[in-house]
Amino acid sequence: MTHIKPQEIEALLEAFDNSPWQEMRLKVEGLELFLSKTPGATAHSEPVAQHPADPAPFATTHATALSAPPRAVSGGANATSAPAHVPDHWIAVRAPNLGTFYRAPKPGAAPYVSVGQAISADTEVCLIEVMKLFTSVPAGVAGTVRKVLVEDAELVEYDQPLFLIEPA
Amino acid sequence: MALRRILVANRGEIALRIVRAARSLGIETTLAASAADRYSMAAREANRVVVIGPPAARDSYLNPRLIVHAATATGCDGLHPGYGFLSERQSLAALCDEAGVVFVGPTAASIEAVGDKLSARRLAKAAGIPMTAGSEKLATAAEAVAFAEGVGFPVVTKASAGGGGRGMVIARDASALADGFERASIEAKEAFGDGTLYVERYVERARHVEVQVLGLGDGRVLHFGERDCSLQRRYQKMVEEAPAAALPEPTRRRLHKAAVDLLASIRYRNAGTVEFLYDVERDDFYFMEVNARIQVEHPVSEMITGVDLIRLQLEVAGGETSRFEQHNIIPHGHAIEARIIAENPDRAFAPSPGRIRIWRPPHGPGIRLDTAMEEGANVPPFYDSMIAKLIVHAPDRPAAVERLRAALESFVVDGVSTNILFLQGIAQHPDFISNRVDTRWLESVFLPQYGQPKEA
Repeated sequence: MTHIKPQEIEALLEAFDNSPWQEMRLKVEGLELFLSKTPGATAHSEPVAQHPADPAPFATTHATALSAPPRAVSGGANATSAPAHVPDHWIAVRAPNLGTFYRAPKPGAAPYVSVGQAISADTEVCLIEVMKLFTSVPAGVAGTVRKVLVEDAELVEYDQPLFLIEPA
Repeated sequence: MALRRILVANRGEIALRIVRAARSLGIETTLAASAADRYSMAAREANRVVVIGPPAARDSYLNPRLIVHAATATGCDGLHPGYGFLSERQSLAALCDEAGVVFVGPTAASIEAVGDKLSARRLAKAAGIPMTAGSEKLATAAEAVAFAEGVGFPVVTKASAGGGGRGMVIARDASALADGFERASIEAKEAFGDGTLYVERYVERARHVEVQVLGLGDGRVLHFGERDCSLQRRYQKMVEEAPAAALPEPTRRRLHKAAVDLLASIRYRNAGTVEFLYDVERDDFYFMEVNARIQVEHPVSEMITGVDLIRLQLEVAGGETSRFEQHNIIPHGHAIEARIIAENPDRAFAPSPGRIRIWRPPHGPGIRLDTAMEEGANVPPFYDSMIAKLIVHAPDRPAAVERLRAALESFVVDGVSTNILFLQGIAQHPDFISNRVDTRWLESVFLPQYGQPKEA
C-alpha cells in the first residue's frame, strides 16, 4: 500500500465514522493518519489534519491536507498547505464558493482586515468575485486575524481556507 | 481557431469522456467539480480541477456564473456542458459569449428557438416537417377539450417549457382531459417554472426514433443515422439502439431528411438530436422535439458510424469543419446501449448510492463501457444515479442482442444495487429479441411480468 488513493482515505474516513471507535492511528509508508471523534484531540506526534478547528474527521476536504493524494486538486489547493505549527484552536474562514479573492473593497483601498487585527463574527474579511458580482465574506468567528492564506486576486475554490483566526 | 483549453462543466462518465476526447485532440481540460466529485476519475484525468461549490447541484453544477468564472479564471477558451445540468440553458451559452469563451454547443439563439417546444413546433411546421395535430398554448381545460374534440381522442398534454414526462397526461375522453389539465399544468410549473401547456393527438402504438445531427453553423447539417429509444420507464430511456431496425428504408431516408431540413433552417451549430414519434401502424413519423446538446445515448450512433461525436463537437466548436462530408458517414452493423443505474428495481427503482465494492465489467469484442466507476469509487446521493453505459456492437441486430445478453450476464457489481438483472430480463424477452416493442411496452408488458414466477 505504497500508493494511497484519495478514495481509500475517503473510505477509511467513512468506515471510521460508522464505527464505534473513538480514535484510530494509521502509519504506512509516506502517510501518518490520526482520526479522533473527540473535538480538539491531537496525535502525540505531528498533527496530520491541517484544519484543526474541525471536530470530526469526516468531510472529504480533510483528505486534501494529507500527504497521500498526489495531485487531486491543483492550483488553489496549494494555498491550503499552511505552515505546520498552527495552534489547534485557530479557526479557518473558508470560501463559500469558487471565485476571485479580493482583500480590499476596491483597488488601492486598505484591506478589510490585517494580521493582528481584532474582529467580530460579522466583520467583513474579503470579497469573492464571480463574473463581476462581488460578495463580501463575514469572518463567522470573533477573534484575532492570525494568517492570510491567499494572495489578492487569486482564484479560490469552494471551502478553501482564506484566513486563520485565533478565537477570542 | 482550434480550442486550446476547455472547461468541462459536468460530472460522471460524460465528464471523463469529454476529458479524454479533448486530450486526444491535444486540448487541455479544467474540470469544474462539486466538492462531492473532487476525487472522481474525471478529476484524476483532467489537467486541472477546481471545486466550484458544495455537493448540492443548485450551488455547483447548476450555477452558470460560477462555471463561466471558473472557465475564464483558469484560462479556458472553450466550455463543454455535457448533457443534463446546464447543457440546454440559454443563459450558459449567453454568459460564455459575454466572457469570450466558446460554448461547445449551439448558439444561445438556437437553444432558445428549439428549447421552447411550441416555438420548435412552429419552426418544424415552417420547414415542412410532419407533425401530429397539435394545439397552440392553451389557457384552460375547456380550451383543451374543445381542441381534442376537433382532432379526436386520445390526446396528450405537454409542457411548452420542457420534457421528461413532466406535464404529460394522456386523456382518452373529455372528462379525463378536464381532470388532468390542471394537474399537468401544476406539474409543468413545478418542473420548469412555466405551466404553459399544449395538447397533441396521442399515438397509441409509437416508437421513439431520433436522428443524430451535427450542424456546421453555416447551414450545412450532417446526420449520423437514427436511433430507436422506445424502451422507456416514466419517459426515461433505458435501452437505446442504432439503427432503428423497425423502419422501412424509404421512411428512414425521409426521417433523416426531416431532421436535417429542420436544423438547416436555423443554421444549427454543433451536435443535436431531433426526436420523432414513429406510428408503427401508419408507417409515419411526427416531430416531437429538438435536444440541443449531446445526448446520453450518442455512443450507439458512434458505434455504427465509427466516429467520435465528442471530438467532432470540439472540432466544430474550434471552427474546423471543412473535411466533414455526409457521404463519408456510412453506418455499419447494429449497436445497443443499456443504461446501468444504481437503483433497486425491486423497491420501486429507489436510487442506491454508496461505495462500489466489486466492479467487474464485461470485456470482449464489440463491447464498450462508458463509465467513471471503479472498485472503491463512491456513487454520491446528490445526482442522477446512472453509473455506466454498456454498449455492444455486432454485424446485425440479432447478434447485437445476443452480445448484450452475454455482456449483462458477466457484469458483476456489488456495494450498490443495480438494474443489471432487470436489463437481463429485457435482453432475454421474446418481444425484445423479435423487436416488437413500443414506448409503452416496458411499463405495460414487461414490468407487470417482471419478478413474477415464469409460466411453464
